[in-house]
Amino acid sequence: MARNLNLSQCIAESLKLEMERDDSVVVLGEDVGKQGGVFGSTRGLQKSFGATRVLDTPISETAITGMGVGLAMEGYRPILEIMFVDFMGVCLDQIYNAIAKNHYMSGGKVRMPIVIKTAGGCIGSGAQHSQCLWGTFAHLPGLKVVAPSNPFDAKGLMAAAIVSDDPVVFIEHKKLLLTRAEDFPFGSDVPQERYEIPIGKASVVLEGSDLTIATLSGTVLSSYAAAKRLEKEGISAELIDLRSVVPLDVETVSASVAKTGKLLVVDEDYLSFGLSAELVTRVLESGIEMKKFGRHAVPDVPIPGAVTLEEAVVPGEESIFVAAQRLVRSE
Amino acid sequence: MATLRQRYSYMVWMREFELACLEGVATREIHGELHTAIGQEAIGAGMAGFLRADDAMCSTHRNHLHAIAKGVDMRKMLAEIFERESGLCGGFGGHMHLMDSSLKFSATGIVGAGMPVAAGHAYASRLRGSDSVAVAVVGDGAVNTGAFHEAMNIAGVLKLPLVVVVENNEWAISVPFSAASATETIAERAQMWAAQGMRVDGNDVEAVASAFGEAVARARRGEGPTIIEAMCYRFRGHFEGDADTYRTEQEKEDRRSVDPLAITRKKVLDSQLATQAELEAEESSIAREVKKMLGEVRLDPKPSSEMALQHVFVGGE
Ligand SMILES: Cc1ncc(C[n+]2csc(CCOP(=O)(O)OP(=O)(O)O)c2C)c(N)n1
Repeated sequence: MARNLNLSQCIAESLKLEMERDDSVVVLGEDVGKQGGVFGSTRGLQKSFGATRVLDTPISETAITGMGVGLAMEGYRPILEIMFVDFMGVCLDQIYNAIAKNHYMSGGKVRMPIVIKTAGGCIGSGAQHSQCLWGTFAHLPGLKVVAPSNPFDAKGLMAAAIVSDDPVVFIEHKKLLLTRAEDFPFGSDVPQERYEIPIGKASVVLEGSDLTIATLSGTVLSSYAAAKRLEKEGISAELIDLRSVVPLDVETVSASVAKTGKLLVVDEDYLSFGLSAELVTRVLESGIEMKKFGRHAVPDVPIPGAVTLEEAVVPGEESIFVAAQRLVRSE
Repeated sequence: MATLRQRYSYMVWMREFELACLEGVATREIHGELHTAIGQEAIGAGMAGFLRADDAMCSTHRNHLHAIAKGVDMRKMLAEIFERESGLCGGFGGHMHLMDSSLKFSATGIVGAGMPVAAGHAYASRLRGSDSVAVAVVGDGAVNTGAFHEAMNIAGVLKLPLVVVVENNEWAISVPFSAASATETIAERAQMWAAQGMRVDGNDVEAVASAFGEAVARARRGEGPTIIEAMCYRFRGHFEGDADTYRTEQEKEDRRSVDPLAITRKKVLDSQLATQAELEAEESSIAREVKKMLGEVRLDPKPSSEMALQHVFVGGE
């Protein structure tokens, strides 16, 4: 039975369990303490662990991420909250020149066990508050990039991200964060105790035979709804939640495509030079027979302000349904 | 320069404009996090009337009143906020990104990001040999960004014609200014950038106007940047929908009782610049005007889906 929680509370619960286990886990970010995060995903932590371990910082993203580097060098496991992924532009230097590279540049001697926790996805907030950007982080060597689609995964993947000795960019979807666990058709049962979900292992959400839909984060839910509609049209879709962009679980996708022969990659991030092209290429490189493939992503435009425009460019249930139908039917 | 009487009218327009926006949130005509500046009207109205079309203004996520002060068309602003094709940016920007290039007004949703942009406008004035100035309006939270420091330092070393208005409403979402700033005031930081620093009562429209007028004149004379810290209080949650539990009900109630509109109204009456009846007539006329504007905006079409791929590049798609 689903507990009475929303996804952000599952993340807060995971953080609490990790902080209880390991004193070196600290949280820094804007509004993470007293308020418990603007989405509530650090709720209660300051009360449990104090204002030094759960620090409300000024609006100073460069300091947050740079301090994370210093803290990691001191043996801590910092969780850095950058409220929205869009704001990473302010502090990208520390992320890609230090957090992503220090382990490599030190010949493997310096570790960066940092979680950069942030929110992405479209909820009608315009070009500067709606991006996903996982493709951008995935392009930079040295960062693991995780984006959960449901409460069960969010809790377990967060635990794995915190214990990871590599830096993890953990992107929570704004639309999912405030969704109640019971409203998820998958991953709604969240155990109270701690558990980990290994980073880099995709999950098969629905089994099917006519095509494979691979996606992650918010569009798993909309693809699920689309798949249910496709079923009524006599199309059986296998739905794969990638869970992370780095590492990318090509094995699971290839095994599915070996069965269905068709792959549709759905991505709420920008189309070009990103997840969809990468995944299609890697499946092709794996040598399995893929008869057809399609890419359905934001068509290389910033996210527009008006919702009527946003709906035209962001993959949703209807557009995924149409794209899948077209892929299967266009013999 | 605007009179106290005129500034009061500005304030009424500003309050009514924000109230109209609240309607759109309730009806879900406006999406995303809408930030209103109800309670901060004396700062917006205090800046009105000093700037020319060739002066620039860079604003924030809480930008409506600044745009009105700069003279941006309210009908087009409201249409943009209500996501209409007739909006200032055709619906592409949305409420956090109002831009009017003809008046050199722009806003950004990234805290602190307007500061260096304003310095860029100020430098353009230097390049052209003009006496135009640039204004950056930011919140107290923005002063702790790297961008704020970098822009101030450049403005200081180059003596750029930059006026920075910090609306210190004491809170950056849930974090109080006192917990985020190493200095007690923002004004006192000015000296480290060789700038002029002033702290004014942001509920006193005349105090704001006098400080702002002086700073703009100083910038026009080529005497360098000024920081005006205007003390105020945000009456509503950080955005519409914010539960706002980080401020006590008592605090909110106490602070909202100091309403800049009421203060200015009393001043206008006490100085016999208008009668009670005149003010009442004007207030209801402005309320009617805004209501009418909103009614018109609501009839405007929403941008259609075929338009969504326009404007990525100058030459089209
Ligand atoms: C770089 C960046 N960090 C964080 C945010 C999220 N955010 C939006 S407004 C805000 C608080 C701003 O406070 P302040 O500057 O005092 O302005 P106010 O909202 O009080 O008017 C924050 C943290 C952002 N938009 N940009």
